[in-house]
Amino acid sequence: MAQIEFHGVTKRFDNGQEALVNVSAEFVEGSMAFLTGHSGAGKSTFLKLLLCLDQPSRGQILVNGVNVTRMSGRRLAHYRQHLGAVFQDHHLLSHRSVYDNVSLPLRISGMKEKDIARRVRAALSRVGLLEKERLYPRYLSTGEQQRIGIARAVVTRPKILLADEPTGNLDPELSRDIMKLFEQFNQVGTTVIVASHDRDLIESMGVRIIELDQGMIVRDGVDTRVGEAADG
Amino acid sequence: MAEAQAQAPRRASDPWPPVRPGIGAWWRDHVRIGRETVHFISARLGTSLLVWLLVGIALALPAGLYLIQQNLSAMTAAWDGRPGLTAYFELGADAGTIEAVQARLSGDDRVAEVMVTDPDSALDEFRQFTDLADALDLLEANPLPASLKATLAAEVTVEVLTGMTEEVAAYDGVAEVVVEKTWLERVSDISAVVSRLGVILGVLFGVGAILVTSTSVRLAIEARLEELKVLKLIGATERQMRRPFLYFGAFYGLGGGLIAAMLISLCLVIVEAPLSSLIGSYSQELDLVGFDPLFLGSLLLIGGVLGVLGALMAATSRLRDLEIL
Repeated sequence: MAQIEFHGVTKRFDNGQEALVNVSAEFVEGSMAFLTGHSGAGKSTFLKLLLCLDQPSRGQILVNGVNVTRMSGRRLAHYRQHLGAVFQDHHLLSHRSVYDNVSLPLRISGMKEKDIARRVRAALSRVGLLEKERLYPRYLSTGEQQRIGIARAVVTRPKILLADEPTGNLDPELSRDIMKLFEQFNQVGTTVIVASHDRDLIESMGVRIIELDQGMIVRDGVDTRVGEAADG
Repeated sequence: MAEAQAQAPRRASDPWPPVRPGIGAWWRDHVRIGRETVHFISARLGTSLLVWLLVGIALALPAGLYLIQQNLSAMTAAWDGRPGLTAYFELGADAGTIEAVQARLSGDDRVAEVMVTDPDSALDEFRQFTDLADALDLLEANPLPASLKATLAAEVTVEVLTGMTEEVAAYDGVAEVVVEKTWLERVSDISAVVSRLGVILGVLFGVGAILVTSTSVRLAIEARLEELKVLKLIGATERQMRRPFLYFGAFYGLGGGLIAAMLISLCLVIVEAPLSSLIGSYSQELDLVGFDPLFLGSLLLIGGVLGVLGALMAATSRLRDLEIL
């Protein structure tokens, strides 16, 4: 059974522009997929709707069988606590240390300090930045900041991990490292959906690719070049 | 779409059960927020002092009026125990008339004491309290009349006093009857005016204090907007996001209450000497009532509550409209 379902989802803005047009897609639990397409194709809107940062004009989005498009208040907050989200510009708090940034989602859930410390260090260890827990984000490189953002997204051990252009500001080598991290999280059962315009990078990953163009899905499947990449 | 709904059966159990942190987590969160609020306020001490002053002044005026009203009430209550009247006789009034009035009042259970002052005694008192002794010697006759002062029992009502006054005034030879209640009634009226003024100003300045705190909290929210967006994104509830700002409101309000208490005590120190003199001229001692721990506690509590209300107003409206991305 699908964990995430988009059923005929359309998003039309007030100015009449349509970011998504009658989009339907399903994601099974533990799967990994890339959303790709040109700038303005609807990738970010797709993720925003899934994060309930915006509401679709039409259609339904079901997560674990629950329509999330009409949720509000505490229920919406609880839903977001069970998601992990990574963004191109990290959204790290500059006046808080790396440790404090990563621990934020756990503090919200009211976890004990001892457990917070254990979880935060495990997450930082996964992204290879354990030794930088006392530093402030401004003293880290862009790639390190992105990895802190990933650590914060996975520290709650979410079932679903969403990433919007997580490698947008990174060089190819760092981008591959970040993608490998997502792959590792997927391998332990997390559903991962990554929006990226870096076609070369995602086609080398050998996972499902959903290509959007002007708000519509124009391709959905595993790219054939994966085999070539693997062979190569 | 209907087809899609049919194809997507809903699951009965909640896939995202609310996290229920224990009382320990709740307490830790409050301690952490309290510490962060103190840090935030102390880092912006100039602005915070300004807010405290504004809230303090807004609270001090109605609170000061309340204190004045309390003291006026206490004064009138104390003097209400000794209402009385003074009858001034016509010049040359015969002793029989004076004795008749004296007998009438002395025989009344409602009269506690009757004291007659003959013209010669009145002249002696006049000499004693004025510098006009030489001028009085030039007069051929004593210009002062005999008088009778009656002090009534404490429980006597204004109506009884009025009736008694009319009765005494009806005697032949009585020139004038002065009721000592009159000025007390004025004080009582002033007390009522001050009381109502206190209520009106209390409401107006209370709203002012709420608006001051609300504006200050709104500025604090704008300063931490990025953090709030992140918190909302990672699943903080509105209550969790609002909590730090309620602390701001409470701190601003409590600080304002403290400033108000300081301003009022400063005012009391300034007016104490002239007020003592004024009260002393009415043969009374200055005994300020109301400025006690209960009053100070109430001032702090009211300040804190108004601050929290202001913060609640600002945080609720701003956080509701918060756009994350």
